[in-house]
Amino acid sequence: MNLKRDVSTRTYSGFALSALLVLTILNVLLQNVPEKVERAGEKLLTLNAQEGVANAVTTVVVFFRGFDTLGEIAVLFIAALGIGLMLSSYSIKEHKEESNFILQKASKLLFPIIVLFGVYVMIYGHLSPGGGFQGGVIIASGVLLLLISDQNFEVPHSIISTLETFAGISYVLIGLIGLLVIDNFLGNFLPHDISEMGMLLSGGIIPLVYIVVGIKVGSEMSLIVQHMIKRSDDD
Amino acid sequence: MTGLIILATFIAVIVVAFATVIQKKLPDTIILFMGVGLGAVVLFFVFQAPDVALTEAVIGAGISSLIFLIALKQFKEVV
Repeated sequence: MNLKRDVSTRTYSGFALSALLVLTILNVLLQNVPEKVERAGEKLLTLNAQEGVANAVTTVVVFFRGFDTLGEIAVLFIAALGIGLMLSSYSIKEHKEESNFILQKASKLLFPIIVLFGVYVMIYGHLSPGGGFQGGVIIASGVLLLLISDQNFEVPHSIISTLETFAGISYVLIGLIGLLVIDNFLGNFLPHDISEMGMLLSGGIIPLVYIVVGIKVGSEMSLIVQHMIKRSDDD
Repeated sequence: MTGLIILATFIAVIVVAFATVIQKKLPDTIILFMGVGLGAVVLFFVFQAPDVALTEAVIGAGISSLIFLIALKQFKEVV
């Protein structure tokens, strides 16, 4: 089939309409500028110093909004579940086309480096930009490279499900221990002294939670990618 | 000078986004979509949001475009 589509005049009129809408909204916004802008960011930044984490974004995502992160992970889990249910009847394709020799060899060489970078981004999430989500997706992209290059490669299902279960349970367990120790779900019960800010072992539970998030995201994204690539051809 | 570069990137992102929508071939659309993500990465980085820039590079320009490409390939095989 010809993978082309028609771009009708409707598209252009849609552009014009949305430009008009944006200009109207901008006009309204510019006329009603609030005199005193409430800035949640500054309050959070001053609170950030108490947790001893160098990357303020990580503190916000994992600590102040830790419960939201739990919800985000649940959403990702449901998405992976849905894709698994929809595309689960996959049969592994026969050797249709061998991939390029360079791709085969280079992917074996590159995979450990990509996984190492993903783990670095994950572990240093509380010190430098990055964190669990990004690191997990980087690892999943390494798995994607292997899946593209090698037709026989398959993500080991038992290991992935074990890792995912472990990560999900330990997130909730860390939160519950915080609830027991300092009356606060995901309370920071480990020592988090401000003098250790910038060290690898600092920030109490925040790096632990981000590593757990990374493991969970990585395994789920790997499963999603595998389901996408190796789905059956019979429908 | 920096302002000029930022302005040029903004204009480039808008132009590429427009081209993404009016492009007729679907594979080309995905490549242009990656281009939009790349411009967004530069803008996020310039405006001091390296966390968001990394996320956009990995998810927006990286794996989501790849998943689109895989889906397109399978679609081609089925139809």
